[in-house]
Amino acid sequence: MLETDTRRDSIVESLLARGVTRRRFLEFCAATTAILALPVTYEARIAEALETAEKPTLVWLEFQDCAGNSESFLRARDPGVADIVLDILSVDYHETIMAAAGHQAEAAREEAIARGGHIVVVEGSVPTAHGGVYCTIGGKTAQQILAETVQGAAAVINTGTCSAYGGIPAAAPNPTGAVGVPELVSGVPVVNLPGCPMNVDNLTATIVHYLTFGALPATDGVGRPLFAYGERIHDHCERRAHFDAGQFALEWGDEGHRKGWCLYKMGCKGPSTFHNCPSQRWNGGTSWPIGAGHGCVGCSEPFFWDTMTPIYGRLPAPPGFGVTTSLEKIGAGIVGLTALGFGAHGVAKAVQRKRGGDAVQTPVEIDRSALRTGSDEEGGER
Amino acid sequence: MTTTPRERAEAAAREDPLQVVATAGCVTVRVWQLPVRVIHWTIFSSVVVLSLTGFYIGTPYLSVGSDPRFVMGWARAAHNLAAFVFIAAIVARIIWAFTGNKWSRWDQFVPISKARRQNAWAGFRYYTFLTRTPPPGAGHNALAGATYLVVLAMFVVQIFTGMALLGLEAGGAPSALFGWVFAVLPIPWVRFVHHLIMWTTWGFVVHHVYSAVLMDTEEKTGLISSIFTGWKRLPADRL
Ligand code: HEM
Ligand code: HEM
Ligand code: SF4
Repeated sequence: MLETDTRRDSIVESLLARGVTRRRFLEFCAATTAILALPVTYEARIAEALETAEKPTLVWLEFQDCAGNSESFLRARDPGVADIVLDILSVDYHETIMAAAGHQAEAAREEAIARGGHIVVVEGSVPTAHGGVYCTIGGKTAQQILAETVQGAAAVINTGTCSAYGGIPAAAPNPTGAVGVPELVSGVPVVNLPGCPMNVDNLTATIVHYLTFGALPATDGVGRPLFAYGERIHDHCERRAHFDAGQFALEWGDEGHRKGWCLYKMGCKGPSTFHNCPSQRWNGGTSWPIGAGHGCVGCSEPFFWDTMTPIYGRLPAPPGFGVTTSLEKIGAGIVGLTALGFGAHGVAKAVQRKRGGDAVQTPVEIDRSALRTGSDEEGGER
Repeated sequence: MTTTPRERAEAAAREDPLQVVATAGCVTVRVWQLPVRVIHWTIFSSVVVLSLTGFYIGTPYLSVGSDPRFVMGWARAAHNLAAFVFIAAIVARIIWAFTGNKWSRWDQFVPISKARRQNAWAGFRYYTFLTRTPPPGAGHNALAGATYLVVLAMFVVQIFTGMALLGLEAGGAPSALFGWVFAVLPIPWVRFVHHLIMWTTWGFVVHHVYSAVLMDTEEKTGLISSIFTGWKRLPADRL
């Protein structure tokens, strides 16, 4: 299918040809309208757009990645929807799933670039250290391939935290000099769909948005579409009522954990993470990490591997004290040492005072001397 | 023209009998005006509430059993409420630093004049046992003033990080005004800093109360009661 599909026909035509019913198609439009957080009235507009739109050509680049986003991509809700997803897009190049190999594969990419107006999906970060030798395909570095492929592209969609922000390859000490795609691309609209991996529902919704409105969706300060990353996990979490009530799991497998209480004390990063996991969920809406009893690791936040760790600790470890020292201990230490230090100071001051010397005259002494001499002039003349 | 300290004190007392009383070689001066005292204790009480609730938010030591009590909900609500009292008090104190009497003005905190720097040096010599003589002055000494400036800086960071964290849950104005904080510091580190400053604040309070007791026993000016009543009794040459 992948490299033979060179006809540029409309999405609906090809869906019908593949046995996807109209009813299924409309269901998909309704679900996507919901993901995009658009009013229901947009359903018809989306359906219309998909009926008339030409299938966009999609070039999927994989650099320093784990193919997790490709996995996610292929795991769209159910077979019917998977068909729609694959059919909305004409995937002209995708190393993992394309039939072509070698020069033939590269030719498919070059053809797509030559036609222009394609959508580039990137998975994985781009190494920049040492001339980019850490990731080369067909003798070209990832950086070269990226620069070539975005030429004439309509949009770049970064799937996963690695292509968006550098992700795990860019974690300290970042030996390959990995960076995210936005740092290397200019002049083409870019949108980030971070996550480890991204949720395919958000990818389809982004593309449907593009086909319907002719533009990428509105984004937040770090380039993520607001429809998918505008709300915090903590604020839509099914365990939130337990958080507010003060009911926490304190150990894996304890009573609270078995009862589904809040995972805050187990290091859940839901309070620091923006993603629509609680509502969209994973694997066709089956479950999601917190639903399955594990805290959020904050994977859709920039540099999560360096900033959201330790995974099982609520706050970062105090630098220079080793990972087992909590901020609470350091804090209590600060107060304790201050008390000790000034306690010692007080003792030393008392000793110094005992020894006497050139202290300032106090009002008490002035009063006494005024009483003794019966005059009130002395204090003023010191 | 007034020449001796005693004459100067008497002149001041004649000019403003409600603020200055001159007696045998001494003056009793209302150093801290009412707003300074009210603000001081408002800050202190809000910091107590913020610390108790903030400590619980950070380290929920109470995990209530099957009978939920909305503990975290109340802790966070109280924290947010106290936060706005705290912010109001800090803003009020900053305004007062430009409108209040000479002992509460901004130049008592920022040692820009040569005299204040000398006073700070004298304070340093006193604290490091190089002299027994505490630095002269009627308000707080220049070293204490500089310490309060550091505390103000900590509080400003606390307000910015706190408002940014509030923006995470509330969106709206806090998010629009303070969202940029997360471009400087990732969210978990903002929490870390906010939490750490709670502890450094209490480190300051330990030092602050100790110094107040130390100076009061040294100078016997009624320093500790001054932050309640406003009045300090000083040798006349201190005015
Ligand atoms: C001296 C003043 C303050 C102290 C001692 C204090 C203390 C704390 C502490 C210890 C935490 C827990 C942090 C963590 O471990 O995650 C916290 C959280 C928080 N504080 Fe403060 N705070 C102060 C002022 C403020 C101010 C001015 C605001 C502004 C609105 C604020 C808003 C917040 C918010 C929104 C949270 C996060 C609550 C959550 O994650 O649910 N705080 N505070
Ligand atoms: C968070 C806690 C506190 C903060 C931030 C704080 C801050 C300050 C500041 C800024 C001043 C200078 C007065 C002004 O110009 O506003 C001051 C004075 C003073 N405070 Fe506090 N204070 C705190 C707690 C306390 C406590 C618990 C005591 C209890 C004894 C205390 C006793 C005093 C005294 C005696 C003075 C007058 C000192 C002087 O002349 O320098 N303070 N404080
Ligand atoms: S499990 Fe995590 S996201 Fe859910 S309420 Fe608790 S802290 Fe928030």
